[in-house]
Amino acid sequence: MIRVCVVDDEPLARRGVLSLLAAFDDLQVVGEYEDGTTALAGLQAQPPDLVFMDVQMPGMTGLDVLAALSPQQRPLAILLTAHDSFAVRAFALNAVDYLLKPVDDARFAEALARARQLLRLRDLDTARTPPTATPARHLEKFSVRIGHRTLFIRAASVAWIGADGDYAVLHVGERTYIVRESLHQLAAQLDPARFVRVHRSSIVRLDQVAELQPLTNRDAVLRLHDGTPVRVSRTYIDALLSALHAGG
Amino acid sequence: MPMTPARAGRHALPPFWLPVLAGLPLGVCLLVMAMPILGHGNATLARTLYLSAFVLWVLPLTALQRWLWRRGMAVWRIALVLLLTTYAMALATRLLSVALQAAASGSLARLFAPGTLDVGLLFRGLEGAWLVLVAYCAVHAVVTYYAELRHEQARHLEARALARDAELRALRYQLQPHFLFNTLNAVSALVAEERGPEARQMLARLGDFLRAVLDARAGHEVTLAEEIAMTEAYLEVEKARLGRRLLLSWHVGDGVLGAHVPGLLLQPLVENAIRHGIAPRSAPGRLDIRIARDGTQLDIRIDNDLPAPGEAPPQSEDARTAVGLDNVRGRLARLYPDRAGLQAGIDAGRYRVRLTLPLRTAPEPAT
Repeated sequence: MIRVCVVDDEPLARRGVLSLLAAFDDLQVVGEYEDGTTALAGLQAQPPDLVFMDVQMPGMTGLDVLAALSPQQRPLAILLTAHDSFAVRAFALNAVDYLLKPVDDARFAEALARARQLLRLRDLDTARTPPTATPARHLEKFSVRIGHRTLFIRAASVAWIGADGDYAVLHVGERTYIVRESLHQLAAQLDPARFVRVHRSSIVRLDQVAELQPLTNRDAVLRLHDGTPVRVSRTYIDALLSALHAGG
Repeated sequence: MPMTPARAGRHALPPFWLPVLAGLPLGVCLLVMAMPILGHGNATLARTLYLSAFVLWVLPLTALQRWLWRRGMAVWRIALVLLLTTYAMALATRLLSVALQAAASGSLARLFAPGTLDVGLLFRGLEGAWLVLVAYCAVHAVVTYYAELRHEQARHLEARALARDAELRALRYQLQPHFLFNTLNAVSALVAEERGPEARQMLARLGDFLRAVLDARAGHEVTLAEEIAMTEAYLEVEKARLGRRLLLSWHVGDGVLGAHVPGLLLQPLVENAIRHGIAPRSAPGRLDIRIARDGTQLDIRIDNDLPAPGEAPPQSEDARTAVGLDNVRGRLARLYPDRAGLQAGIDAGRYRVRLTLPLRTAPEPAT
């Protein structure tokens, strides 16, 4: 069980997070706080594993609360914000991820997955759980159903993968194929040395990247060899850069 | 004496040292004029006195002239006051000079004995000292006038830049509302149909788009990559609304992502293509966006399928398309006079917009 706290000064925002958390049965909400001061006291008295922390709160901000906690008491944090401009400080404070409001469901699940992974690693350190088996082989082909037929698309022929609601869209040359899996699921199955998640709505094949142009808000835009521009969000940019340099 | 902005409002005075510096050559002239007579009797003493007096008088004179100027007094009055003041200063200098010469020849006591003061001697040789001080005042007036002119020009330029700023901002905000309300309406419909996850997804996309618009507010020009990212954020909202009815293809050429373009240039054109081309169609429609370099120009083409005759939007909708295009055309004309173009029209069954503007990869200094 992962023990979770939610801190936000707006009751509706707290309820929004709680309703999303309700979908996961390995999570237990152990605290709910409506301002920085009570959150600080509560987190000190009853440290959770993970906290969903609103950044902009009257008085003490979410970052102030995290900074006021000692490193031993400081839980992993997923920050909630309307407009960010603090990322550097946030990541020094055990922040795993940050979610922009209004919260996107897929991003929420992903941030939670990151936190879970970190908590699992922490547990591995104390040798309480056996190491999880990593898939020995990466996904080499996709099966795509068109009517009654099933097509098999080689992963090597896919330039990039976009999202369409809960499905993934494979881009192969001029054609597109819909796969009934989420981008998040695909990202975990594909070879990370060849395919990298760059945005909530896209995965690119590394050897297709022709150009990278950074943006002022720390996001970036990629241009693929076929001329397609693909947005890169700052959450993924470090992983993309290291994968690009490793491949080169 | 630094100039404070409040004081600069009516009269922009040059720094105090500037006219003094400009007046120095006059002092040099005094010396040069004295060259031939140096060494002749008391002439050296007299000229040294004149020069020191000039340097000393210049400071209160500068202060007085600045004060008069700042009070906004009429020019002829300032001239009159200054002529009188400089005359008095010259007279005082001359008086001092005569007294010193008398003292040098040991006849100072005699000088002040009643009836012996040679008034003629006092006024002779006065014009030299006076003229130099008058010339100094003229130099000061020119320097002040020039400073004020420069200030006026700067203010004029600033006003023009501000006007352009305001105009561009107004044009840009004119673009936002209908899209915002349409999206809210779509979200409202999704909520009414209890399609919660889709409504939430749309709100998240809308949030992304609004953040992109707000981030772009800093300058009129953004890189093409920023504009593409913003247009993509917008398209994601539309994709959520239209689903597979929107067939989108982008083609961005080599080496243009860093080009500078006006912010929100692409998005309104793409919005037009969707509102008037794709959205009214019942069948899926294609939207092709091609951006490439063409010599020194950036070439942007946005082509979209059109609704079938029966699906055509009402006439009022066409008028709104024109507003969007005029808006973009207006902004291009202001930012790149005679160097940008926008053509739009129906060709081979598709609506085609072609946009050309100068390709620049570094920001242009404001003109």
